[in-house]
Amino acid sequence: MIKMTETQASVPTTPKKRSIWLEVFRRMSKNKMAMFGLAIIIILVLTAVFADVIAPYEEVAIKQNLAQRLQGPSAKHWLGTDEFGRDIFARLVHGARVSLKVGIVAVGISILIGGTLGAVAGYYGGKIDNVIMRAMDIFLAIPSILLAIAIVSALGPSLFNLMLAIGISSVPSYARIVRASVLSLRDQEFIEAARAIGASDFRIVTKHIVPNALAPVIVQGTLGVAGAILSTAGLSFIGLGIQPPAPEWGSMLSGGRAYLRYAWHVTTFPGLLIMITILALNLLGDGLRDALDPKLKQ
Amino acid sequence: MLRNKKIAAVLALVLMFALVVTGCGGQKPAEQGENAVPAKEEIVVAQGADAKSLDPHATNDQPSSRVMKQIYNTLVTANEDMEIVPGLAEKWEQKDEKTWEFDIRKGVKFHNGEELKASDVKFTLERMLKSDKVAHIVEAIESVEAPEDYKVVIKLKEPFGPILSHLSHTAASILNEKAVTEAGDNYGQNPVGTGPFKFSNWQAGDKIELVANEEYFEGAPAIKKVTFRNITEGTNRTIGLETGEVDIAYDIEPIDKDKVRNNEKLTLIEEPSLSLAYIGFNVNKEPFNKKEVRQAINYAINRDDIITAVLNGAGEKAGAPIGPKVFGHNPNIKPYEYNVEKAKELMKQAGLEGGFKTTLWTNDNPVRVQIAQIIQAQLKEIGIDVAIETLEWGSYLDRTARGEHDMFILGWVTVTGDADYGMYALFHSSAKGGAGNRTFYENPQVDELLEKGRTSVDTSEREKAYFEVQKIVVEEAPAANLYYQTQNVGMQKGIKGFRLHPAGHHRLFGVSY
Repeated sequence: MIKMTETQASVPTTPKKRSIWLEVFRRMSKNKMAMFGLAIIIILVLTAVFADVIAPYEEVAIKQNLAQRLQGPSAKHWLGTDEFGRDIFARLVHGARVSLKVGIVAVGISILIGGTLGAVAGYYGGKIDNVIMRAMDIFLAIPSILLAIAIVSALGPSLFNLMLAIGISSVPSYARIVRASVLSLRDQEFIEAARAIGASDFRIVTKHIVPNALAPVIVQGTLGVAGAILSTAGLSFIGLGIQPPAPEWGSMLSGGRAYLRYAWHVTTFPGLLIMITILALNLLGDGLRDALDPKLKQ
Repeated sequence: MLRNKKIAAVLALVLMFALVVTGCGGQKPAEQGENAVPAKEEIVVAQGADAKSLDPHATNDQPSSRVMKQIYNTLVTANEDMEIVPGLAEKWEQKDEKTWEFDIRKGVKFHNGEELKASDVKFTLERMLKSDKVAHIVEAIESVEAPEDYKVVIKLKEPFGPILSHLSHTAASILNEKAVTEAGDNYGQNPVGTGPFKFSNWQAGDKIELVANEEYFEGAPAIKKVTFRNITEGTNRTIGLETGEVDIAYDIEPIDKDKVRNNEKLTLIEEPSLSLAYIGFNVNKEPFNKKEVRQAINYAINRDDIITAVLNGAGEKAGAPIGPKVFGHNPNIKPYEYNVEKAKELMKQAGLEGGFKTTLWTNDNPVRVQIAQIIQAQLKEIGIDVAIETLEWGSYLDRTARGEHDMFILGWVTVTGDADYGMYALFHSSAKGGAGNRTFYENPQVDELLEKGRTSVDTSEREKAYFEVQKIVVEEAPAANLYYQTQNVGMQKGIKGFRLHPAGHHRLFGVSY
């Protein structure tokens, strides 16, 4: 009995783990839309990583040149210049850095907090579950963008506060997802077995439950990055996000809106880029969900 | 099933009507514009914010003043050339240094039918003195007496030179005692004045409607109905003018000006206003306690760039804190020139060759945010690393009043057109904080000169004092004065008789269409 459970318990963790992810990727690679999304995300990540090589920050991205303001696309400025004569292409490239950073860190924060709360609630059940989940329900009742606005106004606008605000405001959805997975896992035999051999609650949750509950979190996380980028753009649009002169897609959009009738390119390109990024992340998220769902495979 | 079909048919009809109606809406005003029928009696005025209250003692903001100007009259009025002319007072006389006597116009009727009496004036000014929003405008007044029905005697605490300018402020509009008492707390939504237009209707956040006062003492206005519309986005005000749904639009955005100017159905009028835009330094804080640093920043700012790029040319470089239209303006003071070398040298003298880090606060006004970004880039040239912080208007005012800032951008409108209003609040040590002196500047000599300018009634003596104050505050530079804003109004070609008032609250009496 003991022997059997040991082998069973170790199955989903170490040896087969790599092959599971390979399998998921293989399945997803059949989904063209998802691969398209993935390709765009990879390009964006590379752009963000090599932003300084593509366009130097100090010399191009934040360098004002008031004599050349609001110029249309040309060979010198591929996507034109903004209201301060800065190169829009360079700013979009550096904006990718900010957007991806905020997106990933914010989702990381919500997974960390939401996941922990959800796991605790699901694993222990009863009163603890009730208290945590009712608190989450209250959170859910507040529109997340409003909550983020409130947090940023209270803490003051800065990159870190922005990530924190967006992260915190989407905690409840992760708590719910993790709790649901934990509830379904909690009563399965391999958990019972782990408990029987005297594993601590902490070990059971971290070693056995969390890895098995990861799939839906990954899917939600991918979609969440898209939401976070959109929230960042929204908060920057109303002046609560990244502070100037740092380039950020949302603030570029907001800066150009007064010139919409005279210089279309100032708002159009950041808008397009935001749209493409969100679309790519959503396609990837959908693809991952399908690939990770064993029922859909058969 | 039959029922569903009926509903569908009704919906289709509604949709068709909606299309037809909106289609017409787009066409009609343009046609009218072409025919240019002179006898149009209704005008729509668009401004960027709704009034807060129409009780002159409850608020002191421009959008409200612009509406109140049409409803009320003041004892004396500053006309478009900033000359003091009779208003509700036919004539006035200074009895001694501290006593002024006003003869009230006879037969003036309030909109509720009551006749204007000296007791109303007494009531108004006494009520004003109790207001926490506007009492400072008339704080020089000791008492108001109404010895006869048409005679008012105002006694001052001390001699106060600019008293007439202050009484011409829209906040000193004369109210009817009975109307105020009857309306109680709702007076702000039920204003009763003596002006050319009567209040008729207010849809908060959207529009205020006024109708002509046929019994107005200067004659019945040509326009019978005025609608003040609240159109926040500047672009939308311009579009409103173009489509013809707006007849007069206040504050056309700099970028839209050429569009209005080049439209053959529209006119744009532009004139200097009484407002100044400036960067204030917190002189209590390191390193802004050093005069050299403040001067260095003044030299490092390229004012021409700001005026061209942000204002599209709608401003004049500022040297002195009060503009050329304000009484007491010193024409000998030139704006700081743009000179990076000199700025660097001054930084060196202050021992800050390596520069320093600081913050620049602004509220979320798009023009100010843009100026902040340009200044951020310009100060980088002399090694000052500026972080911009955008604050919400309420907390911006509170926190700058408490002195939590390093640098901030603000404007100041010298509404009364007199140097006292323009400089006492900004530079007198007693006005530190919320009253206006957010740089926390203190200089006994400036205090003394400002007091002299305020208490003296001899015009040339006052002027001399103010000339001196401007020389000192520009040299000591507690602020970097940026520009005097040019104000503009766009309107339909058919509008006649409209004149810009330097204080920004334009009179619609005398306008015809």
